[in-house]
Amino acid sequence: MKKIYILIGNYGSGKSELALNFAFQAAETGRTELIDLDMVNTYFRLTERGKMVRQKEIRLVSPNFACSGIETLSLPAEVASAFALDWDTVVFDVGGDAVGSTALGRYHSDFAALEPGQLEVLNVVNIRRPLSGTVEKIIRLQEEMQVHSRLQITGMINNTNLATMTGPDDLRDGYEILKEVSDRTGIPVAYTTGRQELLDQFLSEGHDPKYIGKPMAIDIYMKRDWESYIHSLS
Amino acid sequence: MALTLMKGSEAIAEAAIRAGARYFFGYPITPQTEIPEYMSARMPEVGGCFLQAESEVAAINMIYGAAGTGARAITSSSSPGISLKQEGISYCAGAQLPCVILNVMRGGPGLGNIQASQGDYMQGVKGGGNGDYHLLTYAPASVQEAIDIMMFAFDKAEQYRVPVLFLADGIIAQMMEPVEMPEMVDFKIDPEKKPWACTGWKPGDDPAKRGVINSIYIDTESLTEHNEVLQTVYKEIVANEQKWEYYNTEGAEFIITAFGTVARIAKSAIDELKKEGVKVGLVRPISVWPFPYDAVREAVMADSVKAVLDVELNEGQMLQDVKLAINGAKPIDFFGHYGSQMPTVDEVKAKIISMKEGK
Repeated sequence: MKKIYILIGNYGSGKSELALNFAFQAAETGRTELIDLDMVNTYFRLTERGKMVRQKEIRLVSPNFACSGIETLSLPAEVASAFALDWDTVVFDVGGDAVGSTALGRYHSDFAALEPGQLEVLNVVNIRRPLSGTVEKIIRLQEEMQVHSRLQITGMINNTNLATMTGPDDLRDGYEILKEVSDRTGIPVAYTTGRQELLDQFLSEGHDPKYIGKPMAIDIYMKRDWESYIHSLS
Repeated sequence: MALTLMKGSEAIAEAAIRAGARYFFGYPITPQTEIPEYMSARMPEVGGCFLQAESEVAAINMIYGAAGTGARAITSSSSPGISLKQEGISYCAGAQLPCVILNVMRGGPGLGNIQASQGDYMQGVKGGGNGDYHLLTYAPASVQEAIDIMMFAFDKAEQYRVPVLFLADGIIAQMMEPVEMPEMVDFKIDPEKKPWACTGWKPGDDPAKRGVINSIYIDTESLTEHNEVLQTVYKEIVANEQKWEYYNTEGAEFIITAFGTVARIAKSAIDELKKEGVKVGLVRPISVWPFPYDAVREAVMADSVKAVLDVELNEGQMLQDVKLAINGAKPIDFFGHYGSQMPTVDEVKAKIISMKEGK
């Protein structure tokens, strides 16, 4: 059965990073399509890793003119292949915040036609981002994104991190906040994601599995150029 | 310490609000459009005003008006937009209006491209607009440093009644770094502290307390007097406001001079060269006007220093100030790219090695 994952969330929460990880893991066992549906920014998008995606025999769909220097993005007709063709897994990486999730609204009838259990709409949360730092902010953004995307969020992803300075406190603090969000909204924590060593440490701390969801170790592919050449903060 | 992960643009905008800015006027341009975007959402939350002006020219003149009331006003743009603002910037300087102007530099000249650049150094520190004026100009090298400078930028602007300019390359605005955001400053316009400001004079009030914001002085003597006032202020700024960072200058064989993100590339090169036994130090001007001439000269004049390498993301604009600082006392070389193509650690290393080998 075809499975579709939609990653939405606050700008800079790590959607593209997770989209690559979801797609790469899925591609190990099945036919996978990855859709770059970020219609907000022309840069910092997963299409920048297009070569890597195609090398793994994943079909990549990008907005017209993405990564070309032209600042006019438009939705390609090719997005329809997500629904029309016979994939095992399709991953949608969507633009940030409510404005980014608006692009999903156009596919409302396609998503509505899916069988129950085929679709996961996942809100990627990094509580270290200023607009996702509190329970109230997360709930407000979640509600706005649901309205704009015309979709119900089925789960949250605790992807709390401080980029290269991520430490053991980050997933733990994310857990505490998402626990409250989950209790208040009824939306479960579907995944907890992080680099292997940090994830292992978090899992060894004995938190309630109900608010951890499925642990998923990730690799970092969306490194920025400047991480290779600028002096790190000390 | 509570760290958050922020994009430079967001962090700069939030810091401005926390420093008391309540008026933002601007016009979108990559790579800094996230600043007005952030301001558009945040200003209403703090009772401030976000206004997307019809052009950069309009935006800087709105700053002139808002700053004239004593409020903390800020505008942002990128290189071509800052060029458009030059007339208004000169007017703000002439009318002694404290305000903050952000230039997130991109490749030029003309429209250039949207990649990072340091090509507006000359425009920022050597003029830009007309007349004998200076802007207190800072070049942050990290998101945190941009925040920290913002937290005192308005204080300095008001202390000296000058516009403050941020010269940040595009990387600073676009990259995400963990930062600590300071608490909100409780800023209110105080007419006692700003007797020059237009805060609501009515007929019948003391005529001496009527604020007039102006940069035109028709007769010869009054313009001369006005310019002397300005020059006195600039001298004070030169005496008190130079900021710089030294890195590994002790015992260095070579000194690199660089500002902004390029200085961090230089630091990475310096660390690698140290492992290879080559001692290199860095002088990083943080205030580029006033330029820290003495600090550069002092580092370079140490006996251990053989030569100087200036590294920039332009054709060598700060190089002129470095040369003035050294005044021919030691050899100086330059390495850089034009805007949009970052110098690499390996390139900086190779340049130092070639200097060491006397090539």
